Amino acid sequence: MTNLTNLTIKQANNGLKNKEFSSVELTQAYLKKIKEKDKDIKAYISICEDLAISEAKAVDEKISKNKPLSEIEGIPCAIKDNIMIKGEKCTAASKILENYTAIYDATVIEKMKNAGAVFLGKTNLDEFAMGGSCEKSAFFITKNPYDLERVPGGSSGGSAASVGGDLSVYALGSDTGGSIRQPASFCGAVGLKPTYGKVSRYGLIAYASSLDQIGVIGKTVEDCETVFNIIKGQDKLDSTSTDFEISPSILSCHSLEKGNLRIGIPKEYFSAGLDKEIEISIKDAINFYEKKGAEIIDITLPHTEYAIACYYIIATSEASANLARFDGLKYGAQSKIENPQSINELYFKNRTDGFGAEVRKRIMLGTYTLSSGYYDAYYKRALKVRTLVKQDFEKAFEKVDVIFGPTSPCLPFKIGEMSNDPLAMYLADIYTAPVNLAGLPAISIPCGKSKNGLPIGLQITAPAFCEKRLFKIAQIMKEK
Amino acid sequence: MISEKEIKDIAKLAYLEISEQEIEKLRKDFSSILEYVDKLKEVDISEINETANLSKTENIEREDIAKRFDNKSLIEAMPKQKNRYLEVKKVLYND
Repeated sequence: MTNLTNLTIKQANNGLKNKEFSSVELTQAYLKKIKEKDKDIKAYISICEDLAISEAKAVDEKISKNKPLSEIEGIPCAIKDNIMIKGEKCTAASKILENYTAIYDATVIEKMKNAGAVFLGKTNLDEFAMGGSCEKSAFFITKNPYDLERVPGGSSGGSAASVGGDLSVYALGSDTGGSIRQPASFCGAVGLKPTYGKVSRYGLIAYASSLDQIGVIGKTVEDCETVFNIIKGQDKLDSTSTDFEISPSILSCHSLEKGNLRIGIPKEYFSAGLDKEIEISIKDAINFYEKKGAEIIDITLPHTEYAIACYYIIATSEASANLARFDGLKYGAQSKIENPQSINELYFKNRTDGFGAEVRKRIMLGTYTLSSGYYDAYYKRALKVRTLVKQDFEKAFEKVDVIFGPTSPCLPFKIGEMSNDPLAMYLADIYTAPVNLAGLPAISIPCGKSKNGLPIGLQITAPAFCEKRLFKIAQIMKEK
Repeated sequence: MISEKEIKDIAKLAYLEISEQEIEKLRKDFSSILEYVDKLKEVDISEINETANLSKTENIEREDIAKRFDNKSLIEAMPKQKNRYLEVKKVLYND
């Protein structure tokens, strides 16, 4: 019998259609594997076994009646625990939401339910998606399936580890400064961050609303495209969402088949700080595309060195406003304080006990950069530099169709290795955060391994709303 | 370096308590981050507009139709409740 827990969406879909196995068998194979293997990897915060089995049974019923299936119907997936599934816990890996049960479905979940998805469970993250290693979860640390002593990346580390460790077929994550792409690259998976606005954020617990985007982590580019096509689209519950599409003639104007694809290589992405093994692997991938007929063009994104500073001011400012709603009164965790002397004391205690150290620090940083006297010097200035970062990309895309570079400057690091240097951890977002500042789509695809067998990711970035171009170009990599 | 008083003031604005032990670490972390973000001062922004959001379109409006939540699940989400009312600790003001 085929191994049921290493199939792609497409393979699982074919197996279901051809009745090689049922959705319940497929789902149970994953639930069993999670019981055995997730003790070590710890990708999941909670498992929704009952929900998964009932969804799988409904799909099998359809199959027995020979009804047509959607591409993801009956196929088990994992959901980052900051995206709400009605009736299931949604914790954002924070103590303040430890006992919170979602009372509605996120729009992406509703769309996936309509397409017959099977939800295995909710995956670990850095608390409120603030981090790049999953070490900042209030509950436990997720391990990298390639090396259990190393981090899976973050913040969508649980989702990436579940895909990389064959504990789900695919997963949803969210990406504010690289939180889908970096963990995907660390766990040998494909990670897609769509254009800002292309996927509704309704039902995603907000971190930084002008940067947050829900996206997909999968085993193949094709799988990410399949799920993206199901979750995308305008939503009346997210006023920033849109149905905007680029015309096919523009999308297919340049291509490898026509021999006129132009790939931009930013010189800033290959400067000091980039791991040597990653550099070699990325250059190898670029050579591969050149041999395939692409034109490789040196470009410059001159404001790259300011992007991280700009990103952390904007992200923490927005976070301080978004997280002001958590007071621990109407939902979430209440502090055990007896006889509070004022209502403020109750708020202070609930928030202080409920948020972890990193979240408190970022709320405070954001409070500082938004406070009167510092607003102009920090927040307003960062918004202006953001314009320059965005313009860098716009200018580059006048000359090239896509931009290639590394996803992360470093390989998956050992648990605890970066914890003493908070700034170093922030700087690791150097290649991913600028893409969020500019609202562009980008995908991280596996492009090789280090000599110790650790995965390396190639990031491909395209102009806004050009996801199709991304998929088409990223697909070619599998020929390598 | 950012002062102890400033750290305490920010914490208060953010509705967070900080312990004495935390203050020194926060001062250090804040200072290294603020020193780093100061590099934005090198950039000439005199002619540049702000990018506050990336929405493709103008605001999309919808009709304002009330949609009722299942209030049972809302009430169940409360940490404490009595007869379907949110129960909070007794607070006697002395602010």
